[in-house]
Amino acid sequence: MDSDIDLQLLMVRYQQGDFGAATALVNRLSPQMHRFFLAQFVSRRHADDLLQETWLRIHEVRHTYRRGQPVLPWLYAIARNIRVDHYRKAKRSAAREEQLGPCSDVAEAPKARSAGTPDLEALLAGLPQSQREVIAMLKITGMSLEEVARATSSSVGSVKQKAHRAYEKLRRGLAGLGMADVSRGGPA
Amino acid sequence: MRDRDLDDILRRAAEAKPEVDPALLNRIAMSLGSATQPVHALPPSWILATGLVLICEAAAIGGALLLGAHGVQRMTWVEAGLIFSVLGILVWFAAMLCVAEVIPGSRRPIAPWLLCAFCCIGLGATFALLFHDYATERFVSQGLACLGAGLMEALPASLAAWWILKRGFAVNPVTAGLATGILAGLAGVTMLELHCINFEAPHLMVWHIAVLPVSAAIGALAGFTARAYGPRRKGRA
Repeated sequence: MDSDIDLQLLMVRYQQGDFGAATALVNRLSPQMHRFFLAQFVSRRHADDLLQETWLRIHEVRHTYRRGQPVLPWLYAIARNIRVDHYRKAKRSAAREEQLGPCSDVAEAPKARSAGTPDLEALLAGLPQSQREVIAMLKITGMSLEEVARATSSSVGSVKQKAHRAYEKLRRGLAGLGMADVSRGGPA
Repeated sequence: MRDRDLDDILRRAAEAKPEVDPALLNRIAMSLGSATQPVHALPPSWILATGLVLICEAAAIGGALLLGAHGVQRMTWVEAGLIFSVLGILVWFAAMLCVAEVIPGSRRPIAPWLLCAFCCIGLGATFALLFHDYATERFVSQGLACLGAGLMEALPASLAAWWILKRGFAVNPVTAGLATGILAGLAGVTMLELHCINFEAPHLMVWHIAVLPVSAAIGALAGFTARAYGPRRKGRA
């Protein structure tokens, strides 16, 4: 809660033209936003591009943030919009360039991690996009159900349902991979 | 495996992701810093919504005065009171939804398609309750005239709504267009109720209400077109 109030104060100062607040927001929120993009199966290069594009868009529309409102839903609604735009563009260009060769930038196949640490992409590979997005927001960014509902323009009930279904699939997938023991004895 | 175990696995997997390149963060911060100017935040939602309601009602009343407010003059107090109360409530909900659609991360009171369905059902029930003349004289010709007039009324109302909302940012232009179309459609229906003297229940329940979904569909199509072919956004701050 304190953290969100800090973010709100930084956002207000950013709107007032404070460069220090803008830098603090970038440094504080970018790592989790970058992870959010990586969890959507984009390559590292594309995650970097999406991150830059998201901050530019945030800068353009920073006046739409209102004092007292939670920052993360506002921010992730914009980040999500950028990712969807990117996906559409990639799909269109992939369709145009089909004759030249397959497009490899849109979604990289999840790679297996050699160490015992479970790989996020491999974990989320079996989930549909909407469930993957909800899990990424809940678990990577640490947003609440209400905040995820705001960011995805849906209801709390719908977010709960998606998270529940995703957990069921993850549980089945992990059992199939024999990773159930990771939670108890796996390396941190 | 319990939910807590899954949480733990996901948390560790997310933490294992590579960190962002500090040079990239520096570049982003510098690019923002070079253009950081103070901006005025959008006014509170209720002010924007009130503006939308006033401008839509003004457009509806203006349209009715232009064509002649014959319909409302022939209504009883009960009919006028109930119809315009229902329309007022629906316009307020549509205005709140329009505002929510152009502010990222705001709480949506209702999904736009659901509001469209509620509006149609609510108005249909009101008309069914108040009017019991089931004649269908010149059903199509009169109906098409009313549908056309309602849609013509929705056009300036949607332009006025867009003018109020243009500083916002619609993360989903299709649903934002749908919501604006519903609001504009309600302005069209309001104008028809003020103007139209045909109180046959089938006419009201088909042709007057039809303005809403048609206007909503046009709004959604406009949003889709804007998203697919619109120009790249420029800074509006």
